[in-house]
Amino acid sequence: MSERIGFFICHCGINIAYRVRVKEVAEYAATFPGVVVAKDYLFMCSDPGQDLIEKDVKNFDLTRVVVASCSPRMHEKTFRAATQRAGLNPYKAFHMVSVREHSSWVTENEDQATAKAITIVRAGLMRVTNQSALTPSKFSVNPNTLILGGGIAGMQAALDIASSGNKAYLVERQPTVGGHMLQYDKTFPTLDCAACIGTPKMVAVGQEKNVILMTNSEVESVSGFIGNFKVAVNQRSRYVKSNCTGCSDCAKVCPVDFPNEWDVDTKMRKAIYISFPQAVPVRYVIDKKDRGPCVQTCPAGINIQGFVALIKVGKPAEALKLIMEKMPLPGSLGRICPAPCETECRRKEVDNPLAICQLKRFAADSVDWATLPVPTIEVKPESEKVAIIGAGPAGLSAAYFLALKGYHPTIFEKAPFAGGMLRFGIPDYRLPPAILEQEVNYIKRLGVDIQLGAGIGKDRPVGSLFAEGFKAIYLATGAWKSRKMNIPGEDAEGVMHGIDYLNLLNLKKPVKTGKRVVVVGGGDVAIDAAREALRQGAAEVKMVYRRSRDEMPAVKHEIQSAEDEGIKIDLLVNPIAVLTEDGKLTGLRCIKMALGEPDESGRRRPVPVEGSEFDIPCDMMIPAIGQQVNPAFLEGTTGVELTRWGTVAANALTYQTSVPGIFAGGDMFTGPSIAVEAVAAGQQAAISIEKFLLGEELTENRPVKPKGTDWKPIPKKPFVASRTKMPTLPVADRIGNYKEIETGFTVEQAQTEASRCVDCGGCCECKLCLDQCKAGAIDHDMTDKQETIDVGSIIVATGFDPMNPSKMSQYGYGKYRNVFTNIEFERLSNATGPTSGKLRKRDLKDPMKFTDAPKSVAILHCIGSRDQNHHEYCSRTCCMYALKYAHLLKDKCGHDTEIYNFYIDMRCFGKGYEEFYKKVQAEGVKMIRGKVGLITEDANGILTVKGEDTLSNRLVEIQVEMVILCTAMEARPDASDVMRKFGIGIGSDGFFQEEHPKLAPVSTPTSGVFLAGACQGPKDIPDTVAQAKGAAAECLALSSAGVVEVPPMISSIDRDICVGCQLCIGLCAYTAIEFNQYAGISEVNTAICKGCGSCAGACPSGAAKVRHFTDKQIFAEIDGILLN
Amino acid sequence: MSEFEPKIVAFFCNWCTFTAADLAGTSRLSYPPNIKIIRVMCSGMVDPKFVLKAFLNGADGVLVGGCWPGDCHYINGNFKARRRVALLTEILKQYGIDEERFWLRWIAASEGNMLKEVADLMTAKLRELGPSPLQQMGQMVG
Repeated sequence: MSERIGFFICHCGINIAYRVRVKEVAEYAATFPGVVVAKDYLFMCSDPGQDLIEKDVKNFDLTRVVVASCSPRMHEKTFRAATQRAGLNPYKAFHMVSVREHSSWVTENEDQATAKAITIVRAGLMRVTNQSALTPSKFSVNPNTLILGGGIAGMQAALDIASSGNKAYLVERQPTVGGHMLQYDKTFPTLDCAACIGTPKMVAVGQEKNVILMTNSEVESVSGFIGNFKVAVNQRSRYVKSNCTGCSDCAKVCPVDFPNEWDVDTKMRKAIYISFPQAVPVRYVIDKKDRGPCVQTCPAGINIQGFVALIKVGKPAEALKLIMEKMPLPGSLGRICPAPCETECRRKEVDNPLAICQLKRFAADSVDWATLPVPTIEVKPESEKVAIIGAGPAGLSAAYFLALKGYHPTIFEKAPFAGGMLRFGIPDYRLPPAILEQEVNYIKRLGVDIQLGAGIGKDRPVGSLFAEGFKAIYLATGAWKSRKMNIPGEDAEGVMHGIDYLNLLNLKKPVKTGKRVVVVGGGDVAIDAAREALRQGAAEVKMVYRRSRDEMPAVKHEIQSAEDEGIKIDLLVNPIAVLTEDGKLTGLRCIKMALGEPDESGRRRPVPVEGSEFDIPCDMMIPAIGQQVNPAFLEGTTGVELTRWGTVAANALTYQTSVPGIFAGGDMFTGPSIAVEAVAAGQQAAISIEKFLLGEELTENRPVKPKGTDWKPIPKKPFVASRTKMPTLPVADRIGNYKEIETGFTVEQAQTEASRCVDCGGCCECKLCLDQCKAGAIDHDMTDKQETIDVGSIIVATGFDPMNPSKMSQYGYGKYRNVFTNIEFERLSNATGPTSGKLRKRDLKDPMKFTDAPKSVAILHCIGSRDQNHHEYCSRTCCMYALKYAHLLKDKCGHDTEIYNFYIDMRCFGKGYEEFYKKVQAEGVKMIRGKVGLITEDANGILTVKGEDTLSNRLVEIQVEMVILCTAMEARPDASDVMRKFGIGIGSDGFFQEEHPKLAPVSTPTSGVFLAGACQGPKDIPDTVAQAKGAAAECLALSSAGVVEVPPMISSIDRDICVGCQLCIGLCAYTAIEFNQYAGISEVNTAICKGCGSCAGACPSGAAKVRHFTDKQIFAEIDGILLN
Repeated sequence: MSEFEPKIVAFFCNWCTFTAADLAGTSRLSYPPNIKIIRVMCSGMVDPKFVLKAFLNGADGVLVGGCWPGDCHYINGNFKARRRVALLTEILKQYGIDEERFWLRWIAASEGNMLKEVADLMTAKLRELGPSPLQQMGQMVG
């Protein structure tokens, strides 16, 4: 049967006909092969227009219909329906040509517009006969809806949907619903209190059983299609369970403060908080980020932010308890730890790092150790014995943690005192023995047996301890053997290695110290040895170090102290020979060094400068260039393997050696390192040993070290205090004695120093709140919850952001204290805000304090709106809320308050708006038509506002005490993420684009996804609510229909042509194509395919096609366009 | 002889560039009538055959319009278009089709003004380049 085509062209009133000579186009179409009827009509989309098509299909027995009118995005559906009513398959029979958007509206010249219309009509006429019949698939619709955003739009839509009996999943990013409306005080023009009309909605969404409220949650991804969406939602952990009663006891003890986002930073809140008293759900939330860099860096994992916060609020005993969860030697390490944590401290981004180590010491020094309570320990049977060899920091720490778990550790120590390197390697003026002693005694009180003078080795081998009844053994004997320099004359009389020197002195044994002493090395042992020598009566002490000062591994302030005491440091000098006379030391031959390329440690390698040799005369030399492990204790023990560096080989995670049940740690495992590493090793060993004794797998369920860099931003508040200097003994009082040099912080100093912490981790995990919560609702280990929700429709109601006016420097926002934004003013005026609803000026010195009421206020409209430098659009709400502010100021601060409104035009278009304008004017508010160009502030905080009065054509300059900037409503900064997740569009103003500005104001390009509220464009509360109800109606219409048709324009693969190359499978973004290995071809899964045509565009054999966009159909269009 | 007017076939994706063309219309932005639009669902479905066919049929230029990278309605169809266009440009050059005759542009739904700009620029460029060398080669009528 030959084709019989009907052609219909629309005038669209005059929209098409004013440029395109529609009759001429129809006449052309009439001449086209197959066209049996060609007509023009005023409004094809109208009822009579559609009727015309239907009748002509019947009268002329048409097989195809081409309509030339507006864009198919507008009325394709309308005409497809008409064609279908006429009894034809619309996909086969109908094609639409856009002669309005693509011709009459974009072409200036009538001839050209008509010619273009004829060309594209011809393309359409040629295409239509190549089209095939298609039938849309039908799918059932899930009746539930997901709503993104819990502002007034989201809440309203959720309630409307819930009232139909269907479920509404309300997903809100913040911990409470409410949105901007609930931040406001009054609402224009009726001056209803926002809370009075808003909180009932909040309570309703919280109580309505069909609303599933998901606060503190974000949508991760969306898949599926209209009627059948799958939405993955991540419910961020709140750390407070649903049995929270909202009593606020937890917040009362929380030591960490942050600005409250809900109050736009005009008020502080705690790390555990509720946005505002009426929040829904009434459930506290903990603002917890990744653990701070200090905590992550500390080898022992001490909760540094936590103990620092506790010191800040005057709770040093609690701080100490927190430290001792991870480390039993706080007083000792608080004096000597090189504090790797401080290098990472983010306070250094402001000035310099926190004195963490010294604060730890403060906590330790502030208690009486003799009466420090011992925690309740669940004691294990006597047989659970563990032998620990070495009472250094590693051994003590392992014993401490094992004792806390109820085991019975015995420490065997060769020396007459416990403490290891802390005792024998560190001079008393840095770490008085009494401090170490009190900590060792505390460890003993936990049940640890320390046997002094009990060496393990040849006579009592390690292995024999098992026979003595010990079930596990921990080796922690340290690294005590001095490293040799390997230069001639090293064994001469007068040479004594640093660690041996310090050891003998600490044992109070007689040591002969020379008069002129040279110390070789730049580490802590070298510094300690040099300062000891000075105290032992040396007249001159000199240090030589082969690299530069920056590379010296010793603690910086110790180097400084040494120099203060008169020790000379020769840098870039290396000894090459020891000069002797009769076997006695007389001097040291050195060579000068220069820094070359960095070596494997990252430090620049020193290289000798040729010919720069020189001699230093001396009678004592102390090499302190490092230590090694002395494996003597292993005598008589077999099976414990060593590494090629002489350290004990052990598993890096479990610390178990090659012999099961024997563990190793500290310097003997790592080689010489810092004490806190040894403490960490002891901590880990205790975990391993317990697992070993319980028969558990050693590697499993070990505590994970915290990581991540999602920290709180450095606060913007002004910083006053710089790092507190540790008080020290004057140099003159130090020489010749062993008095402790650093005297420790006072309470005041410690609190000031602790308050410098920038609280990177948010919540400091001090856990004070746990004891306070009577409901037991707090769970610091709660994790995020992922959930996939099936819904049939989605409403996006993500709202807006108020523009930050700081970039408009002429208004001085952020610089002048009394220049407020509209939202800040709303919070001031709100009863739950920083001033409990009183309109007050800010204190000039402290932005968190408020003083008295302003006597004069300037309100500036259109800040960032109607401004081509920022947003060209009008934000639609500012005129009205500016009037509301004027009224509130008059009302709350007295009618004598001078108010100036600088406006461009007054836009009071809504119901009752103009009346409100008149009323406020009658209250005596001054209206000045013009923009403000500049604001300046004098020393008393008085603001001078300079602007233009365009009605009287003069410049005005007025002085006021407060300025309110009515900032633009702008799209959320992450609107594009939402756009991508939900497949909606964004307009040039940044807001989400509705499908049609007039007729489809809540629809989006993705069917089943709707918009509501200010995310679609600036609007006030009544419009927002109306749109939300509209969006809810769309969703309910869908649910009520129960069935949805999905366009049939999807891909198909011709089984006879496909060669099974599978190219299409790799290209398909939806994994909608599968390979049928029996048939050797690729097949499209029609339920998943979206019809993008990636496969069709690439198929080398032409087997893959998109229905309705086949080669034949597109070729016909091309032919039509290019036919001469 | 009347002044040369280039013939441009434009393949616009339904979601971004075709919508931008609608927006240019509603905003009454006029541009030369040389561009004739064929609607496709995604720039990623533009088969090299479509482009070759247009040139063989006497088009002086071909324009492919898609969503900006990251904004594709079909996740990543526009990236496939970009790869395909890059390859095809190389092949076309070997047949004497200058790369300035074959354009790929990202034009978002909100960028009606950009659509006008591209239409103006491309038409001007092709007027300068003159008729396609393939114009007289076998005209195919479907």
